Amino acid sequence: MVMFTGGAYQGKTAYVMRNFNIDESDIADGRSCNIEALKTARCIKNYHELVKRLGDDCISFTENLCKSNNSAVIIIDEIGCGIVPMEKSERVWRENVGRCGCIIAANSETVVRMVCGLPSVIKGGKS
Amino acid sequence: MTTFVTGGSKCGKSSFAERILTDFQGRKVYIATMQPFGDDAFEAIERHRKMRAGKGFETIEKYTDIHEISLDADCAVLLECMGNLCANEMFSSEKINSPAEKIISGIKHLSDSVSHLVIVTNQVGGDGISYAEGTAEYIRVLGEINQSIAAYADNVIECVYGIPVLLKGVFPC
Repeated sequence: MVMFTGGAYQGKTAYVMRNFNIDESDIADGRSCNIEALKTARCIKNYHELVKRLGDDCISFTENLCKSNNSAVIIIDEIGCGIVPMEKSERVWRENVGRCGCIIAANSETVVRMVCGLPSVIKGGKS
Repeated sequence: MTTFVTGGSKCGKSSFAERILTDFQGRKVYIATMQPFGDDAFEAIERHRKMRAGKGFETIEKYTDIHEISLDADCAVLLECMGNLCANEMFSSEKINSPAEKIISGIKHLSDSVSHLVIVTNQVGGDGISYAEGTAEYIRVLGEINQSIAAYADNVIECVYGIPVLLKGVFPC
């Protein structure tokens, strides 16, 4: 598994498409895709939005996905760099994204953080 | 040479950017893009003026249309900051503008004319908040501009609590 993270609009998806021979048809969008499609997708983007859709099931889903689709490239926004929100559902979402992100990172041989379209490999060696 | 300095708010990127040009021997120009609206802006401008005092910068205030600036090859320029410039270009008229191309070509023009251009920008979009349309578009456009300038720049540095982290090129100081 390979994980790409970083803030919104840092060029994550474009970089993955350029460097992993992945095109639009290979990408499942966590915001809207069929959940079944995630099991075989070569790349999943907006994983942080998928976490919102899955709710309480997100942790077990992520653990299973790391076993069943362990060659996927996962793109997940870094969303925890702000004020902890007052609204409970927003807080729960951030916590879930953090936990799921940690599970994905632990199961990824490579983790890349994108800033201004530039990759920094923060785990492993290949990008 | 072009050096691009990014980071979150109050991460020490301004003082690091100034440090890059400390030893430059020619004319040093500071392009200030922040419009003095409201107390917070006045405070920030005053703080940055004090920080620059005695460091030999002359200041040009230019809130939009940076392509109109004409400087010579003996100059080093510190432009601060891209976040303000982008907001000024987007929200200065009735409708929201899309200034990415205009800003990027302005930066390239400036970079081609001077000896060393240092640009300070801002990392936004890391808080997961779904903002209203205008703000969401601002985050997207600034992200696009940052990616283009980072691809073009010789050096890209992210500041983290005052610590410079090299993302591309070399530390120019």
